[in-house]
Formats: sequence, C-alpha cells, structure tokens
Amino acid sequence: MKKTLFTVLTFSAFACLQMSCKTNNGNSSNGLGIDTTTTGTVTAELTDPPLVPKPLTYTSPKHVMVTLEVIEKVMKIADSTDYTFWTFGGTVPGKFIRVRQGDLVDFTLKNQAGNKLPHNIDLHAVTGPGGGATVTNVAPGYDARFQFRALNPGIFIYHCATGPVGMHIANGMYGMIYVEPQHDPLPKVDHEYYIMQGDFYTKGKFEAKGLQDFDMDKAIDEKPDYVLFNGRVGSLLGPNALKAKVGETVRLFVGNGGPNLVSSFHVIGEIFNIARVEGGSLVNHDVQTTLIPAGGATMVEMKMEVPGTYHIVDHSIFRAFNKGAIANIKVEGANDPNIFMNLKKK
Amino acid sequence: MKSITILFLAAILLQGCTGNTNNPDKAKAEVAKETAKAPLPDGSIFNIKDTFTTQHNTPMQLVSLQGKPTLIAMIFSNCGYACPRLTADMKAIHDKLGAKANQVNFVLVSFDVARDTPARLEAYTKEQEMTPDWILLHGGEQTVRTLSVLLNVQYEKDAEGNFSHSNLISVLDKNGVLAFQKEGIDADHTETMSTLQKMLQ
Amino acid sequence: MKFLVSFLTVFCVSLFAFGKATNAALPETKMVVVRAGNYYPFLIKKSDKPIPIAAFLMDETAVTNGEYLEFIKANPSWSKSKVSRLFADPNYLAQWEGDFNIGKEEKKLFNAPVVNVSWFAAQAYAKWKGKRLPTVAEWEMAGNGKPDKLKKHASLTEYILDWYNRPNTGDLPNVKSTYRNEYGLYDMHGLIWEWTFNFNSFISSGDSRTNTQDEAKLYCAAGALTVKDRKNYAAFLRFSFRGSLKGSYCISSLGFRCAKDLK
Repeated sequence: MKKTLFTVLTFSAFACLQMSCKTNNGNSSNGLGIDTTTTGTVTAELTDPPLVPKPLTYTSPKHVMVTLEVIEKVMKIADSTDYTFWTFGGTVPGKFIRVRQGDLVDFTLKNQAGNKLPHNIDLHAVTGPGGGATVTNVAPGYDARFQFRALNPGIFIYHCATGPVGMHIANGMYGMIYVEPQHDPLPKVDHEYYIMQGDFYTKGKFEAKGLQDFDMDKAIDEKPDYVLFNGRVGSLLGPNALKAKVGETVRLFVGNGGPNLVSSFHVIGEIFNIARVEGGSLVNHDVQTTLIPAGGATMVEMKMEVPGTYHIVDHSIFRAFNKGAIANIKVEGANDPNIFMNLKKK
Repeated sequence: MKSITILFLAAILLQGCTGNTNNPDKAKAEVAKETAKAPLPDGSIFNIKDTFTTQHNTPMQLVSLQGKPTLIAMIFSNCGYACPRLTADMKAIHDKLGAKANQVNFVLVSFDVARDTPARLEAYTKEQEMTPDWILLHGGEQTVRTLSVLLNVQYEKDAEGNFSHSNLISVLDKNGVLAFQKEGIDADHTETMSTLQKMLQ
Repeated sequence: MKFLVSFLTVFCVSLFAFGKATNAALPETKMVVVRAGNYYPFLIKKSDKPIPIAAFLMDETAVTNGEYLEFIKANPSWSKSKVSRLFADPNYLAQWEGDFNIGKEEKKLFNAPVVNVSWFAAQAYAKWKGKRLPTVAEWEMAGNGKPDKLKKHASLTEYILDWYNRPNTGDLPNVKSTYRNEYGLYDMHGLIWEWTFNFNSFISSGDSRTNTQDEAKLYCAAGALTVKDRKNYAAFLRFSFRGSLKGSYCISSLGFRCAKDLK
C-alpha cells in the first residue's frame, strides 16, 4: 500500500515536473485528441531492411531518442555493378523507426565526417516545417537535432530533402517510420517485414558492369534502368527471400521512395486480406494490387495458406522482369489440396 | 567636439553610471578598466576587434557593449518590408522591458555598407522613432560579413542594391556570448523576453 | 585580346613578386587574372539580372598545408591549441599533429590543399597575405572556366558530378593534380570544396519561410522551380553545401584559395 502511494506520488511529482517543462498537454486540454503526457525516455530500436522493430510494449507517451547517421558509400546495386549510394544508416532503404502516437521524438541526424555532401531529413510523420528538413540541413562531420510530436498514426516514409532533392532520393536516401496508434494497435501477426521500392538511373544500362554513375538526364526523363526493392537486384531473392510457414500471417510495411515511379504493388499468388489504403486509417479488404505513390507507403496483411515461392512485384510488369522489381516470400509447410493443387499428373 | 561629447555620453551610458560628469577621459578610462577586469569568454562575439561607426559617427568596437545584455539584429534601412517590422519587434521588447530597457543594449547593424552611412542611420532612428539609447552601426564589408557569420544571419545583395536576408533577433549575454536567437518577423518573443529578464535579475 | 590578357597576367604576377614579402620560405602562390564577365545568379527571381563581375586576381591553386604552416608560424594565435572556439571548431587542422608541425604525414600533406580550416581562419590567412577570399559570384565565374582538357568526362558538369558523387576516401592528392582551366586556375573542381567570402549569402534551408524578398529554398519544389537551369545540378549541390556551413566549421574536404582586386 505504502509503496503504491509512493509510486503514485512520484508519478504525480514527475507529471508536475513535466508540466513545468511544457511537455504536458493533457489528453483533454491539448485539443489534439490524443494523450501527450510524456513520461520516461526510451531509445528507439532501429532495424535494417527487411526487418521491422518489435511492436512497442509501452502504453503512455515517451520521450523517444532516435539517431540516424547519413553514410555515403559504394555498394552493389547488382551482382557485377556498383553504385554510390547515399543512405540513412548504411542501407537502402534506411533504418526502420517505430514510435507510438503521442510520443515526443528527439531526433538527431548525423552526417558522417567522410561524406562529401550536406544532407537533411524530411519525415512525413512530422507535423512542422519541412517535416524536419528546415532544421536538419547538416554539413559532413556535423549533426542536427530537433524534436517532434508524433500526432498521426500510420506508416510514413522519410527522405533527404537537400537540393537537388531528386538526386538525393535517387541515390537511396529514404526509409520508413511507423507510428503505432494510441488506440487499436495493429493485430498481432507472425511476421512483419520492411520493403521499399525505388527507381535508379545509371549511366550504363541495367546490370552494366563496374561502378555506375547517376544519370541525371534519365532521372529527369523518368526512364530508370533499375526499379528495385530494397536497393539491389535480388535483395530479397534466393537465400535472402522473406520467409513464412503455412498458416502464418505476414504484414508488409511497403514504401515507395521514388523518386519518380508509382508502384502497382502486387504479390503473385496471394490476395491482401487487408490493405491499409495509402498507409492511413482506411482499411480495404481482399485487394489484389495496391497503388503506392512515390513518397507514400502502405501496410498489407496476408495469410500464407499454401506452400511455395511467392513473387512480390511492381505489376507494371517490365519493371519486375527487366529492371529488378521482384522479391520473394518462401512459404514452407504442408500443402492443402482443399485450397490449391495441380491436377495434371506428370 | 560634438563627437567627443557623444563618446563621453556613450561611455557614461555604457557604464550605467550617472555621476562622474566632468571628465570624459576618466570616464573612458573607467570603461576600459571595467572591460579589462572581465576577460572575454572564448565564445564572445565581442572578440571581433573590428571598428564600427555609430549613427553619431563615433567609432565603436563591440567590446564596448560589454557589461549589459545586448539585443541585436541586422537590417538595412532601405528595406521596405521586413526590416521595419524586425525593428518594430525589437521596439516592442524595449517597451515591455519598461524601466529596465536601459539595462539592455539595443543594437542594429546594417549590411548595406554602401548606403547606410552613419548619417543615414541617424535619420533611420528618427523615422522609426527610436529612443536615444539605440545603437545603430555602420561597418566595412569585411566587418559586417564577419558579424553576420557569427550571428548566423544570411544576406545577399541583389542587382538593385537591395538585400535578401534572414530575419533574426539575437540576445547576447553581458559578455557577448550568444544566448538566444529568434527567427522571423512578427515572431513570438516570449522566450526572447524571458532570456533577457533572467539576465537582468 | 588574348595578348592583352597574358600581358596583364605577367604584369600582375611580376607586381606580386615585388610586392610585400611575407616571411616566405615558400614561393608566393601565383595569381592569375580572371577576366571581367557576368555572373548569372543560381536562383532566378523576377528582378534578377546578370551581375557584372570586374576582372580580379585569383590564386592558381588552393592554399596548401605547407603554406598554411607558414601562416601559423607567423600568427600563433591561429595554432590548433590557441585558436578561439568561436572562430574554429575542434576539427580545426585535425590532419596535423601539433601546433607548428604537420607531423608524420607531412610529406604527403605538405603540397596537398589545407582542409579542416574555418572561414574565419581562411579570412585571417587571406588578410595576412594582403588578399581576400573570392565572393561566391567570383568563385562561380572562375569555376565555370573551360578545362584545358578532361581525360574521362564528356563535359565539366559530368566531371564535377562525378566528383560530388564520390565519398571522400583516403588522403587528398597535391594541388595541381586535377585539371587546369582557361584562366590558368588549377583544381577548381575535383579536389576540394572551397570557402567563399559570402558563403552565407544564400538564403538557404536553415531559414523559416518568412524571408524578405524570396522564399526560394534548397529543398523540395521551391528550389527546383527557381533553379536557373534545372540540369545544373552541380551548382545546386555547391549551393546546398554552402548553405549547410557555419563560419567555425572545419571539414575534411573544405579548403580555400585567395583572390585580390585587380588594381
């Protein structure tokens, strides 16, 4: 009893302290319709694609610390082709960030000292000028810091918005942030994966050997040599394919970094039981192909009933078979002839 | 002669002292002594050694602002839009400080080194109805650019001789260290005020 | 005309040879004439006209570590341990071991451009030399000078973009290791970024949208709409780089060269 009282007192004291720091905008009084009474600090778990941070376990708004480092580096865009990528955290797409609606996010953007160029970040989850870009333009070797309140739930992309913006995005500067809703969190699934589509423009043709430079004329003409999931031909094929078992549910957080193309996102041989339209609160059911605009994202859910390899594609189909926009989900387990079977005997 | 009187008055003003009215040199010496006894911190903007000229045509180094908090902005007097409003923002702060306003330096520095001569700046104080405690500074191109770099003020002259510029009001502590900056015109200066008031306590 | 220019060049250079001698053990950096011309502002506003640039002198190379060492020896207040944090951040001369010695990398660094120097330091060096930093307009006009020849690239723009597109790796090569342009300037692109006198003249991303005369920004659509030549991405990158700087910044790919009025 005593302990409980003490806890309550401590909590109230803390709440008062918060009030004096002006981080308290009580649920009823802040006009935002969400709880923004912030207590405690956590460091966000960040993941490289195709992984997604674990669902959050806290149930009241936190101060969330996020640090992303911009790294310019040469990586493979195809088996025999190198490209100079500009990245948020060393991968394309950049690290996945997961926060909760009402959280106060304390965001640090570092620009690695060896980098050639300034960069910034525009997070579409931010309510505020430039989505953070106005206050994060940062020179190599320096960092910028700002905070924002995650007001709206949903899946959002982030990207670099330093000029020329198109070039920064075309070089791979995008990633995603998921804001869990305060009420009605997403139903639990067996697997969550992170995929982002992007179009790339190189001096040489698709899979031309060696280090390939960015081609601005092709970018302006919107004629990409590559349309890729997760920044590399075959990033999610073969041993890197996404995995699930028969009967399991899979949620894909899918973004489209662009810079130019709109994705006709489709999984061959599956139907999305749920597609959250444009990543917002509108839930659509039984969807074959969902549009993901450049600079947009979605969440789709499917139950894997039949074993086999499922191809994730941009159904603007030449992109899938000639420009790299193909990934796989490998589903293992027993076949259910009640759902699918081959009738022609060999 | 006039300039000596002004220098003398300025010295008294800077000292915040009403006595000692009969010896300008002594007054100057005491200002110097005061400065000497408080060495400038590393981050002090008063470390710029360049000489500016006030609207009264008096040479002045920024270090002579030491001892009081300073509210400072960069403007040009031909500006038809932003600068008068930036000035108005500073005047509003001046008014709000009331009797305490004389414990703060109010400084405007022009980046229009060609047109904003001391005489032009003096005329500007009249146009803007500023009280005599305001200090308007003219400086050389190198000097003004250096100050702008330290105050994070961006400005660019166009072909007509006008300027694109950022609108920043900065608070310096009594030793010239940048304490707070607020960007924008007609901005909310609550924090500017509280920063100043804390310094005046 | 060409003759006149060469004559002027020779004249000015010789003028310099007899000019104020510093304590130079190193020969004075040769200055070349950049002819008068027009500079077209990178972002166009309705009111923009080309800005006429008078002819001026410019160092043919960026300032080297060796040259900068002479400056430090003559001006110890600019040494690593003495310099004010107001004027140079802790990265200042990070490639040097000591206040007055470059250290064991000296051989490699001596004739390489000095980097990790702040704007204030560059200003002080130029003043010590009786020179100044070039303005953005001067630098851009000089940098647009046609290359004598490029080995691998179809155009100067291609060459520049190629360089911007590479992360910095390893040691910087010596000055004069890239190309020479029509004015006789070396390495205007492809070696380092360079400070300019009014690098902070461009109203860039750090600002809110309440700027006076234009609301052009270096991010998102606003910038792209107003870029004079939308394909001039190379200039765009330079301007956004300048926009990210503060005067005390010291960056491993950022150095400077000096200019001087032609009088």
